[in-house]
Amino acid sequence: MIRAENLSKVYRMGKIEVPALRDVNLEIEKDEFLAIVGSSGSGKSTLLNMLGCLDKPTSGAVFIDDVNTASLSENELAEIRREKIGFIFQQFNLIHSLNALENVSLPMFFAGVGRDERMKRAAELLAKVGLEKRMHHKPSELSGGQQQRVAIARALSNNPEIIIGDEPTGNVDSETGNAIMDILKGLNSEGRTVIVVTHDAEIAAHAHRVKRMKDGRLLEQ
Amino acid sequence: MKDVLLLAYRDIKERKARTSLTLLGIAVGIAAVIALMSVGYGFEKSVTGELVEMADLIMILPGKASLGGDYVELGSFNERDLKDIERISGVKEAVAMASSMEEVEYRGEKTVVDIIGIEPREISAVFGDIVKTEEGRGLRENDHKTCQIGHSIAKDYFDEEIEVNDRIKIGGSKFRVVGILEKQGGFKSGIDSEIFVTSGDAKGILGNDDVSQITVRVRNIEEAEEIADKIEERIDENHKLDDFTNAMTMGSAIEQLKTVFALLRAVLIAIASISLIVASIGIMNTMLMSVMERTHEVGIMKAIGAKNRNVLSLFLMESGMVSMVGGVLGCVLGVIGANVVSFVIGAAFGEGISAIVRAEVLLGGIAVAVLVGVLSGLYPARKASKMSPVEAVRYE
Ligand SMILES: Nc1ncnc2c1ncn2[C@@H]1O[C@H](COP(=O)(O)OP(=O)(O)O)[C@@H](O)[C@H]1O
Ligand SMILES: [Mg+2]
Repeated sequence: MIRAENLSKVYRMGKIEVPALRDVNLEIEKDEFLAIVGSSGSGKSTLLNMLGCLDKPTSGAVFIDDVNTASLSENELAEIRREKIGFIFQQFNLIHSLNALENVSLPMFFAGVGRDERMKRAAELLAKVGLEKRMHHKPSELSGGQQQRVAIARALSNNPEIIIGDEPTGNVDSETGNAIMDILKGLNSEGRTVIVVTHDAEIAAHAHRVKRMKDGRLLEQ
Repeated sequence: MKDVLLLAYRDIKERKARTSLTLLGIAVGIAAVIALMSVGYGFEKSVTGELVEMADLIMILPGKASLGGDYVELGSFNERDLKDIERISGVKEAVAMASSMEEVEYRGEKTVVDIIGIEPREISAVFGDIVKTEEGRGLRENDHKTCQIGHSIAKDYFDEEIEVNDRIKIGGSKFRVVGILEKQGGFKSGIDSEIFVTSGDAKGILGNDDVSQITVRVRNIEEAEEIADKIEERIDENHKLDDFTNAMTMGSAIEQLKTVFALLRAVLIAIASISLIVASIGIMNTMLMSVMERTHEVGIMKAIGAKNRNVLSLFLMESGMVSMVGGVLGCVLGVIGANVVSFVIGAAFGEGISAIVRAEVLLGGIAVAVLVGVLSGLYPARKASKMSPVEAVRYE
């Protein structure tokens, strides 16, 4: 499903070079639930950004369904992000001027789905994450856990095969965190590939496979 | 489309104060253009409108005439010129006028006035509809030592106003005032200060039968230019001179005036456009700030699959919407402004001019506003659309 080959990323800050990823090789099967753990600054987010086609590696390549993403145009990458990948952020990253329903329907809007269908599907997805009573609330009127559920519903809106979460439980209490992990497990059992970054060992225990990162390298567990 | 609009609308709403200032900038620019154009059209109409009713006239003067009335006099016409002109096909009437400055005396008070000699039969044929008599009657064929006087002559020239049937002395001989003309003003204000006598009496005053001006009324306005050319040719031939005469159609005078007004409007629009340029800088500034403030949002949109053009259209829609509302507001302000300006001009100069607001000017104003808005939004919108998703999401 996703394959990273010799992935390296070097950030340049003026004259200083920060190597954030060093020669990472990783293959993730379809239906897999992978957790990546590691201390802060070890390069987890950097890796997820590459896997999620948000950023380009300095060297090496990411293959999604055996397509080398380095060969794709900006538009084609946007289409992959829109159709194949659902990204969940630690900070939720909802658009604050839109209500829950509108936030969830936004990826469908970019995909050109008609309004009625969009609204119907967005309502279904919000019901699925238990927010049927909060559809017209703005993000500021929702708790952290509720916001993260909206973000999960949004990630699902174009029915992607891959769900990527960058510390999705990092900003919520542990009870809510467990609830979110249950939702992600459910998505995995629907046949979606789930990749989650966390530094919480308890959370990582939900996964099929756990990989540890250290100083930009992926260690065998 | 509707949803992009909605999204853009939400963002505009969040930045009310700044957006309304930008909007006002555009509105003032558009209002200035619309007001100036409408006043210009109104002014043009009030000036050319007077001339339009005289469009079937040709003024024939010796020498090079110009609209201002300054001309180099080369000589005068004679009886034969008039006969020849009358024979040209398409000429309905031709009236010859003799004119001379003469001393006029009324109740012991003396002044110098332009005396016009004219055939009474012809005067009504040519000027009948245009110059009306206010009091008394017009000149008649067999009148002797009678005159019709301009409005100002009757009311302003002498300490005491002249009444119908009063006697005045022209060039030393006594004349009876049979009629007073209506006040003309505008382009025909010359008539207000003239005294009209029959051609026969004019001969007596002037001592000759020279004709200083011939006015022709044509049957068909379309033929006026052609007839004017023929008249010039014929009279130049009679006098064996190349440029002896100048026959000017009122139609061409109107055309000349229209050109002047078009030029005037262009200048006014150019001036008003400066405010539009300022407004467009305002929009660009607002949009740049809006793009910067929404960097994080743009990052989110791109992360969840927005293409560059999705982001571009969102920002263009926003600037387009602001400027469209600005344009509509500008139309309202412009119409109000036009009426205020024409009212003030009217009050200051005593001549009532009503602004003419044309639908195409209003629609054009809105179109220009949207165009300015979209063009000035283009650079900020492109900037937003080109952002890298990770960098933009990280931006707080
Ligand atoms: N945009 C960036 N510019 C410069 N350095 C960065 C940038 N993003 C991350 N880094 C650096 O790269 C390293 C890995 O960061 P990150 O992938 O965010 O780690 P993690 O998510 O595991 O905490 C860190 O040292 C971080 O400071
Ligand atoms: Mg991180």
